[in-house]
Amino acid sequence: MPKPLLSLLLALCGAWLVSAFSAHLDPYYLDVLIGVGINIVLAVSLNLIAGHTGQFSLGHAGFMAIGAYAATAVSLFLGPLLIGDFPTPGGLAESTLFFAALVAGGAAAAVAGLFVGIPSLRLRGDYLALVTLGFGEIIRVLLQNFELLGGALGLNGIPPYTTPFWVIAAAALTVFVVGCLVNSTYGLGFRAVRDDEIAAAAAGLNPSRYKVVAFTVGTFFAGIAGALFGHFKLTITPAGFDFTRSIEIVVIVILGGLGNTLGVILAAVLLTLLPEFLRPVAEYRLVLYAALLIAIMLLRPQGLFNFSVRRPAAPRV
Amino acid sequence: MSAPLLQLTQATVRFGGLTAVDALDLTLQEGELVGLIGPNGAGKTTAFNLITGLYSPASGSVAFSGRPLAGLAPHRIVAAGIARTFQNIRLFGSLSVLDHVRAAGNLHRTASPLHALLRLRTFRESEAAVTARADELLALFNLSCFRNTPARSLPYGEQRRLEIVRALATRPRLLLLDEPAAGLNPQEKIELVALIQRVHREFNLTILLVEHSMRVVMGVCQRIAVLDHGKKIAEGSPEAIRQNPAVIEAYLGPDHATGLFHH
Amino acid sequence: MTEFLQQLVNGLSLGAIYALLALGYTMVYGVLRFINFAHSDVFMVGAFAGLYLAPIVPSGSILGGILVVLGAMMVCALLGALIERFAYRPLRSAPTLNVLITAIGVSLLLQSAGQLSFGAAPRAFPAVFPARALSIGGLDFSSNQVVVLLVALILAVALRFVVFRTKMGSALRAVSQNPRAARLMGINNDVVIRFAFLLGSGLAGAGGVLYATNYPSIDPFMGVLPGLKAFIAAILGGIGSIPGAALGGLLLGLVETFVSGSEYSTYKDAIAFALLILFLIFRPAGILGKTRVEKV
Repeated sequence: MPKPLLSLLLALCGAWLVSAFSAHLDPYYLDVLIGVGINIVLAVSLNLIAGHTGQFSLGHAGFMAIGAYAATAVSLFLGPLLIGDFPTPGGLAESTLFFAALVAGGAAAAVAGLFVGIPSLRLRGDYLALVTLGFGEIIRVLLQNFELLGGALGLNGIPPYTTPFWVIAAAALTVFVVGCLVNSTYGLGFRAVRDDEIAAAAAGLNPSRYKVVAFTVGTFFAGIAGALFGHFKLTITPAGFDFTRSIEIVVIVILGGLGNTLGVILAAVLLTLLPEFLRPVAEYRLVLYAALLIAIMLLRPQGLFNFSVRRPAAPRV
Repeated sequence: MSAPLLQLTQATVRFGGLTAVDALDLTLQEGELVGLIGPNGAGKTTAFNLITGLYSPASGSVAFSGRPLAGLAPHRIVAAGIARTFQNIRLFGSLSVLDHVRAAGNLHRTASPLHALLRLRTFRESEAAVTARADELLALFNLSCFRNTPARSLPYGEQRRLEIVRALATRPRLLLLDEPAAGLNPQEKIELVALIQRVHREFNLTILLVEHSMRVVMGVCQRIAVLDHGKKIAEGSPEAIRQNPAVIEAYLGPDHATGLFHH
Repeated sequence: MTEFLQQLVNGLSLGAIYALLALGYTMVYGVLRFINFAHSDVFMVGAFAGLYLAPIVPSGSILGGILVVLGAMMVCALLGALIERFAYRPLRSAPTLNVLITAIGVSLLLQSAGQLSFGAAPRAFPAVFPARALSIGGLDFSSNQVVVLLVALILAVALRFVVFRTKMGSALRAVSQNPRAARLMGINNDVVIRFAFLLGSGLAGAGGVLYATNYPSIDPFMGVLPGLKAFIAAILGGIGSIPGAALGGLLLGLVETFVSGSEYSTYKDAIAFALLILFLIFRPAGILGKTRVEKV
């Protein structure tokens, strides 16, 4: 069996183990674990778009919103019709429904990602950042005006389907898929497109295709993360997926190092745990984040956890 | 007689009011090694960008073995069999030397995201084959010792050579070299001439060479076309070009009868 | 018809503020080629500078108003120059993306620092200019709208003079056309870049006070949306072009006002972004900009 697939299976076993013992674990730690896992899914998927392929996106939270709303629509509106009002917690029917909701969330976000990936074919650098930012904001405004999905008040009473098992499994799958895509001769194209698009085309690689694949796959997982987030917080509002949320994910990716999956995972863990430790000085949290971002860019642009490359592997914009 | 490998017919490129390439006719037969020269700004690189699909002609046409290239994206033109190098070297800064050649070697196999995910045996075998061929090419061009070096830390001369190897990895029938000798020292230029001749012979290639160094052009080309202000002002054997008054005038201005290409 | 003229006045005064902000974005983009995300928060600081200056000047007078605007401009110009010196200058040779991320960091820093020092809750902005409701030919508008238009016009004319009639102005234009050539001609690029930040941030400070006069509730996050929209205005007008920024600002202010007056008012915030995406796809150079071709 190929090695990456083996690691994926191992991770899934780990997820199952954690969930098997979750009854004995402090719910607080489980919540933190779920937070970490969701941020890993978000950051590793954004890293495929921004880090490996060099398409700087500031709209990841918008895709997360699409995933959250689409998945919630399935579990909240379709669920009662399909499996009744009070399914067994953790039962087969419930799990199947949640799986369907996750896939629906991912697929809806991926379709939107495809839609945004296409303008990215003609734009680069900060212009693309701006378009993705604008796209995220448009999603938010549209959701606010969409009464069927709760308008500005959002949706609540979402069933609490998100468990550590689902989150660990989703994080493992994200790392597996992004890793497999990037670590192959085929995947060299992502980095080639990032480094020099015209040269990539001269090497016979289709830059448009790589960008669209990165956007579609990356936003698929953003959608899954949104779905997990919704079924974890049990209530979602359009305002919860604003620009600040996108920036949070960007900060994780930058901190971990663009294109460095392991670094990004570590940064996701660090930045999710940090607020927990900073609770006593919670009001200074945002200042610290901001200062951290500036300090990283000035002092260590290749990311906190990148020890192999001396020069930053940041794309030219 | 079969269609020529490359045929530009009255090809014209305009930028706003400027005509960079003006009604250019150029024909390359299979197996030829042709030079394209001209003063700065004559339209040589623009002609390359036209052939490789970065620009589209305002009028006229480009055909590759009888097949029109109009409207094809640059990477499709590479797939059709035309590879190139760039005047201002364009490598993938963060990719290793080996990965440059592997990325380009990816062209003639079916690999999709799905293949990369499932990693079936056929995929792994074709990955290994691409890597093996890339290593062969590196060995052939004395780049093996830089196998794992990121391109941005490569010495200048090796960067130029890697661009050629990357182009060869796409298995072209026609190779366009854009000033490969720029920035090389005399010794490196001599090596480059040998390299071009070797590539031409061993890879069964047709080559179109843009070059400023007369020593290189006169040394390797069988035929030379001269551009000035976007127009072809002369074409012929190196000897004929050397004597051509229009060419001498284009380079040195009027009133210079002789002496340009005699070192 | 009255309705239309009414909206026209409202739109122009909103657009004038966008234009003031857009000028700063476009100048910085001109010399450094990146989106100065922190610009919108300099605008916020301008509004707060106005808030703190208001009690020490004669309130509700023209002189007092002018003093507040000038004071806020100076505070912001200084802030802009500091940001440039400490956050952006060390990154002069770094990839644009790194500068962009730093700018986002500075923006967040200003917002959170603002939250700590000014509090997160909205504060009421005092009437620094004499406020009067005017009615001309059935058109109702406040004297503040007139003030906004007048101040913006004066600043635009002054900017035009600085950029096109002074030595520093020609240096600024030279650097934005070709930084390397400008350096070879003996221009000190660092000085010019600092000058662009001083000018742009000063205009943002004035914009902040004017915005607060018209919408008298200010908070540390007030800059985010106007800032984004002003940048969009700069792109619509043609990024790097000074008349373009003014034109784009007015245009966006008008479009937005007319949309908020219509039945689609809740979509007002999405309009700017939709326009942006359409422009970037179909006319990335903007209305007055020139298309650049990448040299291969």
